[in-house]
Amino acid sequence: MPDTTLLIAGAWISAGLTIFLFSFLYKDNPFFKIAEHLYLGAGMGWWFQVYLFDVLKPKVWLPLMNHDWLVIIPALLGLSLITQFIPKISWVSRYGFTFLMGYGSGLAIPAGLATDFINQIGGTIQPFANLTGMSAFTFFNSVLMAVGVICVLVYFFFSLEHTGVIKKASNVGIYFLMIYFGAAFGNTVMARFSLLYGRFDKLYAFSSRENFYATQIILIGMVIYFILHGFFAGKKTASGEEAA
Amino acid sequence: MLKDKLNAVLKIDRRWIFLALAVVLFGAIMHPLGLISNKISRDTQSAYDFMNKLPAGSFVILSLDYDPATSPELNPQAMAVARHAFSKDLRVGVVTYAAGATALIEKVFSVVPGEFKKEYGRDYVIFPYQPNAVAALTQMASDIYGIYDKDKDGKDARSLPVMKEIKNYKNVSLVVCIAGTSMPDAWVAYAGDKYGVPVIAGVTAISQPGYGPYLQKKQLKGLLGGMKGAAEYEYLIKTPGEGTSGMDALSLAHVMVAALIIVSNIAIVILKYL
Repeated sequence: MPDTTLLIAGAWISAGLTIFLFSFLYKDNPFFKIAEHLYLGAGMGWWFQVYLFDVLKPKVWLPLMNHDWLVIIPALLGLSLITQFIPKISWVSRYGFTFLMGYGSGLAIPAGLATDFINQIGGTIQPFANLTGMSAFTFFNSVLMAVGVICVLVYFFFSLEHTGVIKKASNVGIYFLMIYFGAAFGNTVMARFSLLYGRFDKLYAFSSRENFYATQIILIGMVIYFILHGFFAGKKTASGEEAA
Repeated sequence: MLKDKLNAVLKIDRRWIFLALAVVLFGAIMHPLGLISNKISRDTQSAYDFMNKLPAGSFVILSLDYDPATSPELNPQAMAVARHAFSKDLRVGVVTYAAGATALIEKVFSVVPGEFKKEYGRDYVIFPYQPNAVAALTQMASDIYGIYDKDKDGKDARSLPVMKEIKNYKNVSLVVCIAGTSMPDAWVAYAGDKYGVPVIAGVTAISQPGYGPYLQKKQLKGLLGGMKGAAEYEYLIKTPGEGTSGMDALSLAHVMVAALIIVSNIAIVILKYL
């Protein structure tokens, strides 16, 4: 098939699936269901080929073909995980999980402690090491950050009853958390709009003459479907009421 | 009377809001208004400055870990960063730990290198997708070829001119990780903090606030956040792209949402207290 034909077919499929999925915002319909099931099926198939060709083949099959027998050990440990689906020999999966736990913890704990714990504690304290050379604004920022960290930690400290000073500090911690959630929510809205813009930008591209007005035709088709569906559904309800 | 009308406003069918949003976004796409601000955020400026100071020929790892779901935000960032790297004559090694990124990487590098007359193998190389990012990042500390002995086409990576004198992190001048996942955290932990490799991240707007502590502690040398970060970077490299055009639509959509929030809050205050 020529490249242009493939591109036009791609534009129609892409525009169609996008509009079908967006149509759920109006109400549930068979086109949405088709797109939803297609997405799930295609996703499963795609991941299957990724594991087959990008993981199993280069990491296990090709080394074995080159007589690198050592890969048998991790391959067997990986296969052992599947045995958990067979109750009689499910105990074998413990070997694979043990390896995964040990290996994962060994890699993650030291790095996590250094990067997210010690370094961040240092980052909270460090500004106070240079108090004399600090501007009033930097000092205020540093104090604000230190107070924020301590109050939020107090909020999550459940070994002491939250009364008196602890309760006050905990309440201040809530305000810091709310500011963070507010900022995160604002950014979330921006991110969702970016994704929406991405799809609309594509729909606009697919609406061109070169793509035989894919967006407009599919959109009009969907509108006609909803009008007809509404009309016949209304008629059916009316005749049902009459019969009753 | 007024209260009845306000009650009606608050009970508006949300599908009207969806429709209004669609009209606003489509309108901005069809007729751009040029609402781009030239105010650059500190973190984007830091990222730009750091890359700008690298001497020509430095080796930069570009870790592109995003899939089609986050590509509207992250693809413009990747395009802008790749353009900047090539304009500075930096050598680029592209890696990915997101299986869905491979086709998007091909798309970026089918366009950008040609603009700067850069050649595959001599100026840049694309490595294949690798599962288990942490294992790959750890291995690269001692020997990059232990994990990337071949490029995406199966060519011997050692024989490529772009990889000349590149053995491990000691020879890497910068890592730029553009990701819709938590890959920047892994780069900071396993390459930045452990081996002193400078790391810059490009993330979705959702993830942006979470990277503040890394910036404050200089574990990240710069950060691009969402489409806004891409637009800012495009402004800095003086090459407007998808990020710049997208900001027009986003700005209008934000104005609409802010207006809706203000109107509904005023309505609630009137209904409750007046």
